[in-house]
Amino acid sequence: MNTLLILIGKFLSFLSGALNLGNGSTWPGHIALSINPDFVSDILEYSKTTVIFVTGTNGKTTTAKLIETILEKNGKTVFVNQSGANLLNGVASSLVIEADIFGKIRKDFAVFEIDENALTKISQKIKPDYLIALNLFRDQLDRYGEVNTISKNWAQIYEKLKDKTKFILNADDPRIAYLGMKPGMNVQYFGLNELSLKNEIPQNAADSTLCPKCSSKLELNPVYYSHLGNWSCPNCNLKRPLLDIEKTNNHPLEGVYNMYNVLAAILFAKDTGISEDNINKSLINFKPAFGRQEEIIAKDKKIKFFLAKNPTSFNESLRTINDAKAKYLLIILNDRIPDGRDVSWIWDIDFEILIDSKIKIFTSGDRAYDMALRLKYSELKSETFEDLDQAVKVSLNNVPEGETLFILPTYSAMLETRKILIGKKIL
Amino acid sequence: MTNQKSLVIGWLYPELMNTYGDRGNVIVLQKRCQWRGITAEIKEIGIGISDKDFSLCDLFMMGGAQDTQQEVVAKDLTKKKKAFKEAIENGIPGLYICGGFQYLGQYYKTADGNKLPQLGILDMYTENPGRKRLIGNIAIDAQNLFGKKTVLVGFENHGGRTILGNGIKPLGKVLKGFGSNDSAKEEGAIYKNSIGTYFHGPILPKNPELADYLIKKALEIKYGKNFELEKLDNSEEEKARKVIAKRLNINI
Repeated sequence: MNTLLILIGKFLSFLSGALNLGNGSTWPGHIALSINPDFVSDILEYSKTTVIFVTGTNGKTTTAKLIETILEKNGKTVFVNQSGANLLNGVASSLVIEADIFGKIRKDFAVFEIDENALTKISQKIKPDYLIALNLFRDQLDRYGEVNTISKNWAQIYEKLKDKTKFILNADDPRIAYLGMKPGMNVQYFGLNELSLKNEIPQNAADSTLCPKCSSKLELNPVYYSHLGNWSCPNCNLKRPLLDIEKTNNHPLEGVYNMYNVLAAILFAKDTGISEDNINKSLINFKPAFGRQEEIIAKDKKIKFFLAKNPTSFNESLRTINDAKAKYLLIILNDRIPDGRDVSWIWDIDFEILIDSKIKIFTSGDRAYDMALRLKYSELKSETFEDLDQAVKVSLNNVPEGETLFILPTYSAMLETRKILIGKKIL
Repeated sequence: MTNQKSLVIGWLYPELMNTYGDRGNVIVLQKRCQWRGITAEIKEIGIGISDKDFSLCDLFMMGGAQDTQQEVVAKDLTKKKKAFKEAIENGIPGLYICGGFQYLGQYYKTADGNKLPQLGILDMYTENPGRKRLIGNIAIDAQNLFGKKTVLVGFENHGGRTILGNGIKPLGKVLKGFGSNDSAKEEGAIYKNSIGTYFHGPILPKNPELADYLIKKALEIKYGKNFELEKLDNSEEEKARKVIAKRLNINI
C-alpha cells in the first residue's frame, strides 16, 4: 500500500515540478494521508532514522539548517523537510519524496521543522527522538489563536512523548522552560549568561511576562530580547533552570536571536556524540537559509535579507542592522496568508531606535502605506512605492557601490523580492 | 506660555492588555497632541496602582489580552471599580478595545459556559458561543458618534459576541465585515464619552478622526469649553485607508 502511495506521490511531485504548478510541496503528502492516515508513522517506524523536531515561532529554519550542516559535515546523512512545508501534509510529502519504493528512509537523521501550532497534531502521529523548542512569540494571531493556548496544547504533548523523546529546550523562555520541569523528562537546556548581550531598551513586544506556574509577574534580569532572559518568580520562586550550554565561540550569524539557534544546534549535536571541536569546524563558512541574513550581490551592491515576520523578529532584525550602521533600508509589508492578514503587529515594532541614525528608508508591499504610517508616527521619513519592482529598483539606485541595502520583508514579500533580484527581472 | 494645554493619557495595564499592537492607539493620541503643541503625558496604570491614579487621567486607552492575562487584570480591576466607574460616568473619554471593551459589560460567558462577572459599568454582555471567530477587514459608518457619515476601517478578530442593552448606542453600522455579534450588523458601543470596539489593536492610526474626537473631548472636559483642533496633514492616513476601502469595495 505505502509503496503505491509513494510511487503516486513521487509521480505527482515530479509532474507538478515539471509543469510548474506550484504547491507541489504538500499535495503528494495530502493524498498519501487521506488514503493511509498512518502513512507518516508507518514510514518512520520502518526506517532506522533518528527523527528531530524543531519547533517555535522564530528560528526553526535557521536551526534546522545549522543541524543539517553539522551532521553532514560530520559524515552523517540527513534529510530536512522543505522550507514552509511544516504542517503534517508537508512532513508526509517530504517522506514521499525521500522514501525508497519499499517505504524506507535511508538516511541517518530526519530534521523536521514543525509549525508551533501543528506540533500537537503531528506528535500524535510521530514520536520524535529529539524535540527542540526554541521560543513562543506572537505570530499571526488571526490564524493561530493565542500563545497561551499553544503552550497549553504543548503541555499535553510533552506528557505523551516523555518516554521516548529527548527534549532540548530554551531555558530563557519561561513557558518553554516550564514544560521541561515535569518529572521523568529527559531535558537539556540552552540559554544565555552573557551580560554584554543584555538589551538596554525594554521592548514592547513582550508576550510572556507572567509566571507559567502561578501567573504572577516575572522578574527578568537581564532581558536578552522580548521576554527572553534570566527569569524568576518573586511569588512562587520558580526560576530559570540550570543551563547545559550557555556560550560558544561559534558565531556564524549575527544577532542575539541567532545565538539561541546556534546553542540549540550545538547542544543537540553534542548529545549525538559529535565532539565540540568537530561541531565548531563544521560551522565555519556556514551559509544561512534563504531570506535569513542571506546576502545577494547585484550591480556591485550588497543586499542583505532579514526575514521579519512578527514584532519580535522585526525588532531583533532592526537591532542587528542598527548595530551594523545600516544606511539604506527597504521594508516590505504584505498581508497574505503566510504573512498573517492582520498587520496590527507593526505597532509593536520599536522603530524609535532608528531616530538618531541617518538611515534612508523605503517601503513597499501590499500594505506599504500602513508601514509608512507607522514610520510617520515614529517621526521617521520614508519613501513609499506601491510597485515592488519599482521599490527594489529605486532603492538599489540610491545605494552607492560597495554599500549595503538591507531588506526587511514579510514571508511572501521575501519570496517575491528574491525572485525579482535572482530572476534578474530588472537588473 | 500660560495657555499651554496638557493631557494625561491613562494606559490601562500596558504590560498585560497589549496583545496586538494596541499601543499604536497610545502613540497616535500622544503624537497628534504633540504635533498641535499640546503636552501629552502617558500614565501607565498597572497592577497594584492606587485608585487616585484614575482621577489624574484625562483620557483612557485599554487594549485586548489573552485569557490568562485577562483573568489577572479582572482581579485587579475589580478592586478599582469605583474609581474607574466614576471616571466613565463623569464623561472622561476612553477607548476600550476587545478584552478592554468586554470588561465594561455585565458578564462574559466563556465558550465552555462559564459566566464570568465583569465590571458592570455598561449595560451590555458578551457571550462566546465557541463557534468560529469573526476575523477580517471591516468598515463601519460611525454616524452615531460623528453625526454625519464617517467611515472607520480596520481589522476585527474576536470570539465573543457582545449584545448592547438600553442606553448604549453602537459605535457604527457595519458596511463590510461582521461587527460585534452575529445578527445586528452593528459594531462597538458608545456610552457618554467612552468608546468600545472590536477593531483589533491599533484602530486610531487609520482613523485619525476618531483619535481627534477623543482628544477634543478630553480637552473640553478638562478645560470646560469648546475646542477646535488645529488641522493636521492626514494624507498618509488617507492612502492607508484607501487600500482597505478598495479591498472591501466601498467608498470612503
